[in-house]
Amino acid sequence: MARDRIAGRRRLTQKQAAALLLLPFFAVYAMFLVYPFLRGIWISLHDWNLLAVAFNPDAKEFIGFENYQRVMWGQNIEWSAWASPALQVVGLAGAGLAAFLRRTDRMSRATAIALGLASVLLFVLPGFHPGEGGRWYDRRFWPTVGNTLVFVGLTVPGVTLTALVIAAAINRETRAMAVLRTLFFLSQVLSVTVVTLIWQIMFSPRQGLIANITEVFGGTPIVWLTDQQFAMAAIVITTIWWSLGIAMILFLAGLQDISADLYEAGALDNATGVRAFRHITLPNLKRTITLVIVLQIILHFQVFGQSHLMTQGGPNDTTQVLVRYIYQTGFRDSELGRASAMAVFLFVIMSGFSVLQFVVGREDDR
Amino acid sequence: MKQILIGAAFAAGFAVPGVAQEVTLGRFFGACEDAGTDTKASVGEACIIQSIINAASAGIDGVTVETLPTDWGNYYDQIKAAYAGGTPPDVHVMHRHRVPEFAGLGALAELSDDLAAAGIDPDDWAPAARDAVSFDGGIYGVPMDFHANLWHVNMDLMAEAGLVEDGKPVLPSSPEELLKHAQMVKEATGQDYLAADFAQFPIGVRLVLALMWQQGANIFDGDTATINDAAALNAVTAITQLFDADLADPQLNYADSQQAFLNGEAAVLVNGTWVVDLYDAEAAKAETGLNDYYAADFPTLFDQGATWADSHMWAIPASLKANDPETFGAALKVLAFINDHNIDWARTGHMAVRTSVLESADYAALPHRDEYATTASIARDTPPSERYGAIQDVLNRELQAIWLTDKPVETALADAEAEVQDLLDR
Repeated sequence: MARDRIAGRRRLTQKQAAALLLLPFFAVYAMFLVYPFLRGIWISLHDWNLLAVAFNPDAKEFIGFENYQRVMWGQNIEWSAWASPALQVVGLAGAGLAAFLRRTDRMSRATAIALGLASVLLFVLPGFHPGEGGRWYDRRFWPTVGNTLVFVGLTVPGVTLTALVIAAAINRETRAMAVLRTLFFLSQVLSVTVVTLIWQIMFSPRQGLIANITEVFGGTPIVWLTDQQFAMAAIVITTIWWSLGIAMILFLAGLQDISADLYEAGALDNATGVRAFRHITLPNLKRTITLVIVLQIILHFQVFGQSHLMTQGGPNDTTQVLVRYIYQTGFRDSELGRASAMAVFLFVIMSGFSVLQFVVGREDDR
Repeated sequence: MKQILIGAAFAAGFAVPGVAQEVTLGRFFGACEDAGTDTKASVGEACIIQSIINAASAGIDGVTVETLPTDWGNYYDQIKAAYAGGTPPDVHVMHRHRVPEFAGLGALAELSDDLAAAGIDPDDWAPAARDAVSFDGGIYGVPMDFHANLWHVNMDLMAEAGLVEDGKPVLPSSPEELLKHAQMVKEATGQDYLAADFAQFPIGVRLVLALMWQQGANIFDGDTATINDAAALNAVTAITQLFDADLADPQLNYADSQQAFLNGEAAVLVNGTWVVDLYDAEAAKAETGLNDYYAADFPTLFDQGATWADSHMWAIPASLKANDPETFGAALKVLAFINDHNIDWARTGHMAVRTSVLESADYAALPHRDEYATTASIARDTPPSERYGAIQDVLNRELQAIWLTDKPVETALADAEAEVQDLLDR
């Protein structure tokens, strides 16, 4: 009887139900992500002063792609194969390696294409340089991009390796290991202000722990945060300490997914300790490692607080990173259009890595 | 009619007891947790200003003041974002050098006709203070101080090096003498002659600027950058000769350079007027390495006296005056209260802006005040520009490149000039 009544009602088709249930999400998503994003692109096509437009909405001017040109291009820019030999040789070598590994079938097609593309970019992009009497319109932009890449290039392997080693070491069900797990994860819950404060004290040449240890051994303390050679290292160390936790937890989850049978079987074939790690743990963790690396890349491209609070981008801009430059351009200099153009550039880079993760992830599903 | 309405609104506001008008206030100077309301007892910029604000909140009938949390390093970014979002604080502190940018856009309320009614007498302001808050013939704020770079001196180290005469430090009168004095201090005491924040905040920039002004030069003139010249080269090498001879350390930041001075590891610290009362208090403590403290005028190493200076001032958003007369009235009362306590703020070491205060016995009796009496007359700043912040940043980066990364001086000055020119052209 009751069942009949329900059956008598007009039922939503599965598609209609899905649309209805997805609607709240799409509304929020459109309002808080899609619209601001499109507006960001729109702003990047204008000469848009933050304060002037706030007081007078007509104070903006449509200038097309001029912001992009002013940020990324220059006067008399030329291209040559040997403008920046070190990077370009690495690029060429990478392209060659991708072709070789693909031909000998030691690398899947998607991975080879990704590696090849990255290598070609590494060969092509550093080749641009100002010719005679020329100059970049914005002398700081590309060095800032370079600093950001260096930061990501040091931090991501640093976090991944450290987290992997720690996870492998504490992947045991004892109380001591549970305590250690919590301790290692604890730094992750701190905010960037707290983390940078702790490390500014650590690195201080007068009162810092590191300086005190150096002095005990008779050395002169390094002035980490204002020394050109150590400032970036200091920020990278801070970041590794800070963002270890999530990577470690992901690795622990991955490690616990590996069946104990595999290790047992391996032990019979005399694979224990480091060999077991190399031949059993690593291959089974491949997907987790990829995930951690891509997540970290996307996360660390957005580095801001560490550089802003610890070194103010210095000394001599060696720790100036992209998001800090965007922030300065937008808020200190009020040039919202130009800042948006840089933000769109950052978006393109990060979406590149997201696509890469998508491609690599699909490959594993084959 | 409008006046009557506003008057009625005011009357209504006052007629209801217990409903206080809340005024939000934005400021830098750092945080002070327990400032209290005693404006005569607090020490240091943060606590002195907060005690004045607390006293205003407690003392002005029908007005409470809420100090918004702001961070010094990002203060102007926060204020700009607040203006852009349409929610600026009802009163906020700012520097003289920001007036062209903020008043130029119409962000600040013009106060000429409101000051007298609020009990603020602009004629009592020193002429330079009135200049500081004026823009295009209007008055856009209430000035609070002049602040400038001083040479803070450790007299014990100077005496050891034989650089004290009649109880005053003997300061150099040329770059050559600067080097000689620095060597004398090193030989006699083993300590550095000069410390300053050359590594982060633009104290080093202000030092070089002063030495450029002392030669009659400046970093730009109208729309033309003029950094890459002999005057700048002289100014920079006057400093770098100390680094090269190991008589000063360019790697110290603000906190470290201050600590070095307080530990007795540097005879001179270049820093602003804002720390005079703080160092005076530190020198009184037995545990610091600084015992005999002297606050000297910035010495003249070239042709004419000059030191970097600026002013702190308080402003009200134009939108408040236009849309919310009640809060605007309350905000003016807060400014009047701060103006009335100019002598208390001068306890920091800053120079007062009111003639009546400058001429008072209380002011003359403030510690070390007579030691840097000339500073007011040699105070200078770069020409007004909407891009002040960005220009300072360029100079800071290029100068840091010289002393922290061994970039050749000529290249750095050429790069600085090109970049400042870019900013002026934008």
